[in-house]
Amino acid sequence: MMNRKLIDRLQILSLSLIWLLFTGGAVWILNLVKESLRLHDAPDASLGISLVAIPVFFTLSSVLTYVFIGLRKGRKKDVES
Amino acid sequence: MENAPAAPHPEYDLLRPIENPGKSFYYIVAVLLVIILYTGYVYIRQVYYGLGVTGMAQPVTWGFYIVNFVFFIGISHAGTLISAILRLSKAEWRRPITRMAEVITAIVLAIGGLHPILDLGRPDRMTHLFYNGRLQSPLLWDIVSITAYFTASTVYLYIPMIPDIAILRDRGVKPRWLYEFLSWGWQGTEQQHKVLDRAMNVLMVVVIPIAVSVHTIISYIFAMTVQPGWHSTIFGPYFVVGAIFSGIAAILVLMIVFRKVFHLERYLKLIHFNYLSVLLLVMSLLWFYFTFSEYLTSYYGNEPNEMRVFWYKFRGAFAPYFWTMVTCNFLLPLILLSNRKTRTIPGILIASISVIIGMWLERLIIVVPSLANPRLPYPTGIYIPSHTEWMLFLGGVSVFILGYMMFARFFPVISIWEIQEGRQESAKAVTERITSYMPDPEPRYTGSMENE
Amino acid sequence: MKWGMVIDLQKCTGCGECVAACKLENNVAIVEPKESEMGRTMLWMDMLTVYEGEYPRLRVRQFPRPCMHCDHPPCTKICPVRATYKNEEGIVAQIYPQCIGCRYCMAACPYTVKSFNWYKPEWAPGIRETANPDVSVRPVGVVEKCTFCVHRLQKAKEQAKSEGRNLREGDFQTACAESCPAGAIVFGDLENTSHRVNPLSRSPRATRLLEDLGTEPKVIYLKEVD
Repeated sequence: MMNRKLIDRLQILSLSLIWLLFTGGAVWILNLVKESLRLHDAPDASLGISLVAIPVFFTLSSVLTYVFIGLRKGRKKDVES
Repeated sequence: MENAPAAPHPEYDLLRPIENPGKSFYYIVAVLLVIILYTGYVYIRQVYYGLGVTGMAQPVTWGFYIVNFVFFIGISHAGTLISAILRLSKAEWRRPITRMAEVITAIVLAIGGLHPILDLGRPDRMTHLFYNGRLQSPLLWDIVSITAYFTASTVYLYIPMIPDIAILRDRGVKPRWLYEFLSWGWQGTEQQHKVLDRAMNVLMVVVIPIAVSVHTIISYIFAMTVQPGWHSTIFGPYFVVGAIFSGIAAILVLMIVFRKVFHLERYLKLIHFNYLSVLLLVMSLLWFYFTFSEYLTSYYGNEPNEMRVFWYKFRGAFAPYFWTMVTCNFLLPLILLSNRKTRTIPGILIASISVIIGMWLERLIIVVPSLANPRLPYPTGIYIPSHTEWMLFLGGVSVFILGYMMFARFFPVISIWEIQEGRQESAKAVTERITSYMPDPEPRYTGSMENE
Repeated sequence: MKWGMVIDLQKCTGCGECVAACKLENNVAIVEPKESEMGRTMLWMDMLTVYEGEYPRLRVRQFPRPCMHCDHPPCTKICPVRATYKNEEGIVAQIYPQCIGCRYCMAACPYTVKSFNWYKPEWAPGIRETANPDVSVRPVGVVEKCTFCVHRLQKAKEQAKSEGRNLREGDFQTACAESCPAGAIVFGDLENTSHRVNPLSRSPRATRLLEDLGTEPKVIYLKEVD
């Protein structure tokens, strides 16, 4: 049986990985925007898409984080590890 | 798989597939794995020899892989869109359906999203998309939107699953660590419920524009070219309608299958099928409306290149597929579903399977004829899919079935806590809501009128 | 500098010399007969046939069709990795190491000029020795098309630079223009008044293919006088 602490750590790790993934995605999109500006290759389309896509990803990870923290806070007090 | 004597639970029917799976599960998984392994081998052959192993050629340079890409992603609209819209509109009959639908979305998006990779001539150079991608290209828009939809729908599937995972954890179902890990310390306290509700409210709203954008952007792959039959302004909405249409058909088939296999007659009642099949009928009419508009516009305009593609579909080599599509998507569902007597479970099953076939044909009819009829005087293109393409299609379907079976093996396909919530609170909530629609009671006269 | 081509259909006899010359010059792969029947023949310069009327008043016209090197190319707009792009001199180029083989540009080209390497290109034993060393051989899974013999342009530029002079009209000719026995294909700088293509492109017989699409092709056809 895995103990509570290990599971807690794994949960926090998985959430951090999700943030890492979305941040990576945002960095990637911004990189592509930078390239398009450098090459003068439809910069307006690139900027437009990044303005929409990046907030969407961060909304999702924020919701997940909100749920994670909210569920921990809402726990009955006596089950603290 | 040891089995402790199952603790009784009011919704035990939903827990049985997890706690007591049965032998046939393993047989079916084995068969699927064999198919998938062979498909893997076929794909490796394609990577090794090149796309020459397919039936594609000039001018029909896109075939099954792109057809299936659009098809699978189209089916994904069922889930999130239906469950989000039904939750938003507070339709109580959605309770046994939403999770099944959301799981379809998650799995089918993963499969569909990988299909463009199957289609690449140089999949080893996939990283070029990340290092030098051009955001001006509709293919890049697709990558962004499909990724957004996949993550959104996975989150939207997962968060309402948490209370159910906690039920499994508390019943000690193995593997315990999995349910502990995923349940995020859920205990059903009022505060936790509030958190979950708020999160689901946000997601329900956010997921809808993402879902609509996904299939619109897929349609842009075709609509943003100038090819006859593709360069149409109606493609965005047309594809979204078609996607929802095929998605509902997929949910219906799945519901009928699970009802039979897991004995869920108490949960998936005739009324659920009734409502969803009426929705399917409405989508069929909507699909017909869009299709009719599209072709009437081409025909009336009489532009020579458009007309070549038009006649190729109506009278030419693609006529059998085209008219089968119209029968499957419109005539059959109309006949079967508008009459109450034929709107039975077998009738709905036939109509849904017919729609799935018809919608797959529709994707084929969109992709191939425009390519087969180039503007310049080339001979009309011919496309005969090869063994490789058929196997990858079958493999994709097998991955879907396997993925769904694995999900159903570890998690309940019907949301237990939402059913319980429905039993306890829905009737009261709905009564209150309906009462609020009724006109307010007349104001009581206090008698002042009589006393001048 | 804007490289362009004028093809005089009155002079063209449909002999196909340009088609062959292009294949030899650019190491375009020869596919097996079965593949060719499927439609996988690789022709950077193709000879298209138009049938008009019915027997006995049947009229057969043929015209050579290279890549149009459009000024507003539909193919470069949609390439996801910039494997095809228009350079400053107006040539729509392909970057073979960059191409991921998605074939979107092939689907989007209204003139259907692009070819694809469905298999690894192979040559019969003797033919390998006749390959042009200036042109890279493409690997499996990438798209290719007419490049207005850009390798010859590079050589001509280097030659002119080493001699300290500007490029002359005769320095850089595409293989098809050079090989045409009737002199129907003329190649040059559309913006340079001393090149023959310049006045020819403004001839009253001048027309372009699919002009109404707005692609602004730089291959101009001179209609037959009849």
